[in-house]
Amino acid sequence: MKAPFSAYLNGIAPKMQEIVDALGRDYDYVSLLSTDSVGFSVGMSQRNKSVTNETMTTERGAVVRVYRDGLYSEYAFNAFDPDDVGATVQELKTALDRQLAVLKATNTPVYTTGALPDEPLELFVEKETGRLPEDEDIESLVELLQGLSDRGMETIEGIVDCMVRTSSTHISKMFVSKNRFLRQSYVYTEGMIAAFGPNEEGEMKIASKGVSGLGGPEILDGLEGKLAEVAKLMPELLHSERIVPGEYEIITDPGITGLIAHEAFGHGVEMDMFVKERALGAQYLGKRVGSDLVTMHEGALCEESVTAYAFDDEGTLAGDVTEIDRGILVTGISDALSALRLGTKPTGNGKRENFAHKAYARMTNTVFDSGTDSVEDMIASVQHGYLLSGTQSGMEDPKHWGIQCIVAAGYEIKDGKLTGKVVSPVIMTGYVPDLLGNISMASTDRVVEGNGGCGKGYKEWVKVADGGPYLKTKARLG
Amino acid sequence: MFEQTKRILKEIGCDTYELTEVKKNVWEFYFIRHKLDQNRVVETRELEATLYRPMEDGKLLGSASGPISPTADEAEIKKALETLYYQASFVKNPAYTLTDKPVPAIESKPVDVAAIAKDFIEAMQAVPETETERINSYEIFVREITKTFENSNGVTSVVTYPSSMIEVVVNAAKGDHEIEIYRNFTSGVCDREKLTRDVAAAMRFGTDRLSAEPTPKLGTADVIFSTDDAAEIYDYFAERMNAQLQFMQLSDWTPGKPVADYTTGDRVSLLATPTLENSSRSFPVDGEGALIRERYLVRDGVAENVWGNRKTSQYLGAEDSSIVYNFVVSGGRESADALHDGDYLELVEFSDFQVDSIGGDIMGEIRLGYWHHDGKVEVITGGSVSGRMQDVIPSMRFSAETEQYDNYVIPKETRLYGLTITGVR
Repeated sequence: MKAPFSAYLNGIAPKMQEIVDALGRDYDYVSLLSTDSVGFSVGMSQRNKSVTNETMTTERGAVVRVYRDGLYSEYAFNAFDPDDVGATVQELKTALDRQLAVLKATNTPVYTTGALPDEPLELFVEKETGRLPEDEDIESLVELLQGLSDRGMETIEGIVDCMVRTSSTHISKMFVSKNRFLRQSYVYTEGMIAAFGPNEEGEMKIASKGVSGLGGPEILDGLEGKLAEVAKLMPELLHSERIVPGEYEIITDPGITGLIAHEAFGHGVEMDMFVKERALGAQYLGKRVGSDLVTMHEGALCEESVTAYAFDDEGTLAGDVTEIDRGILVTGISDALSALRLGTKPTGNGKRENFAHKAYARMTNTVFDSGTDSVEDMIASVQHGYLLSGTQSGMEDPKHWGIQCIVAAGYEIKDGKLTGKVVSPVIMTGYVPDLLGNISMASTDRVVEGNGGCGKGYKEWVKVADGGPYLKTKARLG
Repeated sequence: MFEQTKRILKEIGCDTYELTEVKKNVWEFYFIRHKLDQNRVVETRELEATLYRPMEDGKLLGSASGPISPTADEAEIKKALETLYYQASFVKNPAYTLTDKPVPAIESKPVDVAAIAKDFIEAMQAVPETETERINSYEIFVREITKTFENSNGVTSVVTYPSSMIEVVVNAAKGDHEIEIYRNFTSGVCDREKLTRDVAAAMRFGTDRLSAEPTPKLGTADVIFSTDDAAEIYDYFAERMNAQLQFMQLSDWTPGKPVADYTTGDRVSLLATPTLENSSRSFPVDGEGALIRERYLVRDGVAENVWGNRKTSQYLGAEDSSIVYNFVVSGGRESADALHDGDYLELVEFSDFQVDSIGGDIMGEIRLGYWHHDGKVEVITGGSVSGRMQDVIPSMRFSAETEQYDNYVIPKETRLYGLTITGVR
């Protein structure tokens, strides 16, 4: 079925157009993004059960962007009387004028920018979904999740709880400007099973696996298979050891490959950072940043994932950018304002945490291309190293190209064979060009995952997805 | 909207509920160098409803929560509330109660977002810069937040408070070599003096990093934490006493028992407190309508009180507990200088320093540190630090002097013994 576009947004569309038209008399550029996204989060464990009708991306509100005298300003609101559009227009002007008074009093200069183009376009996209979160039978879902938790407790030895968390969101967004009227609707869903258990020293270990994708709650059927994966992982973690720090040959599973893609050259080529001269990537366009095996794509069109939108939060159509082509850095990703300032084309990566937040250049799907090697051959080629699996967290460093990835488990490889020894947790650090430059093998398969969220620095959380094949390289592990 | 929602709740037969309306007036300014990139205003209000449903003769209490948009009409509100009430019947938690203790009127000072924003802008404009140390960019967020709470027991409260954040990026340069230092400061209002001092310190770190050498392969080292990253260490203590973690059996710290087999170390005393001067979360009532009382979570190394939401607190028998937002750690027995004995590594910049509150793992990639050894000081960068809280608590030492980082007051310096250092030379 098609994910139906919000009836609420359709209903207020003429009024939103009125706001844009009214402000157009005072400003040189006006656009408006209006959102109405609904969903649920359901979590079940032995000791805690919860249902909310909120997710990371549920929202209803609008943000107006206006431009005058070289300055862009925004006003976000969620209380709106459709019978009094004039009041909203006046509130916006009053609020922004009060800010301008402070800026004048502080003699604040403006980073002068030209007017955004506003090429005519109409778009209406409703993506396919199996089911809708707002129609989901929560009773059946609760039974499914509780059943998984119960079976986790029965089958996984030594754990204190097994938690199953899910969420599903039906996104509807409408972009209005003088010449553009864009509407889109899609559903994405994610779920996770996590088992908690203490090892012999009393240290609590967490084994988790997830599912995610573009589509409705039917995606959660995949959790069934994840329970067995968690059951296999938990005893490995409980009997894991601390790693001896050092530099090792490593093989990254698709999840860790995605984490590297995300932290290394995802954040590193967000082009609002180019404008601020905060990214080393700007100096490396056209230069080598990885081995010949490294080709990386970025864009909402790359994969039908949790972030596969049709247009971004600034009304730019979604794209598919080749960031790195056989080791050579080709381009970055940009929001509309950064592209305007840099004299480049926007790539459809202007994203907001929600309507109340500023748009930044943000990732969508960040994915390494597959290679030609088998995972078996990759393992056989390692003298002493680790197969790394399970993302915990990562942090970007676009200015200096350092990388930090916290990995749940490392599986020791000696003389081309997995020894059965597991180390956990593992902190992987390194210099990005070294990490990518040392990539010597890549597997033929590819997986893209989109559980959790991504911040810019320590804020502005958005949905992203990343992945790729198994990769072989070298890194420092501690 | 409160009255309309309460009327509909009565109509659908829901007599146990919590309603919270959050109003926000936010001023935002984004700068590239000192030029204004963009200004923004956010004016929102949203009602959050949590509906409860007793089941099985009161043995179980279900709940479901969700937002009610201010643009929702009567029919939409009713549908949303009916859905929540229905969903609550599938959430079978053991029974607990909502707070029924009246909250005295809370005096809130008016929040002048324009004046606070002006303070931030002027403070940043006045930061001393040189040819080699300068501001790259900054983002200012000033919020006036009003939370109005009411539950079905008639408990009501209204709090208005300021909550500010400034993200600052500074550069230090030597020739073509440029270093970036990132800072994210949160507070109630703008403390000009502290902001200026903290930005100057960030610039100094940047300059030091320009001459940093790769971290040696130390194996293990004693590490001194002297910046806001140390709050992660003390947050571990707070989280171990969180009722949710305790009830989920993810923390084994038991009130009345020492949190470690202490040897020579300083014993942590961690006080939960309702208000803290210029904290971004300074108010005396929690999100469930309960008054926040001052109490020790850990005193002299002994677990004392749990804190957290009503549900899990009641399950643990801590009826008068609450959610807490501000924490004060007492200073140690010695001055910061006294912690500087022997060889030690002072770490001041990380990619992302983390202490896992469940597993106790300490992890962070080192961006800047000072390796004090044999009477010398080497500036170092790269590699990582790791360890386990369980291993370092018995011997940890911390300074008598304290420092405030938003909602945490912690010892100015903390020394952890025998952490693993993965070096790069």
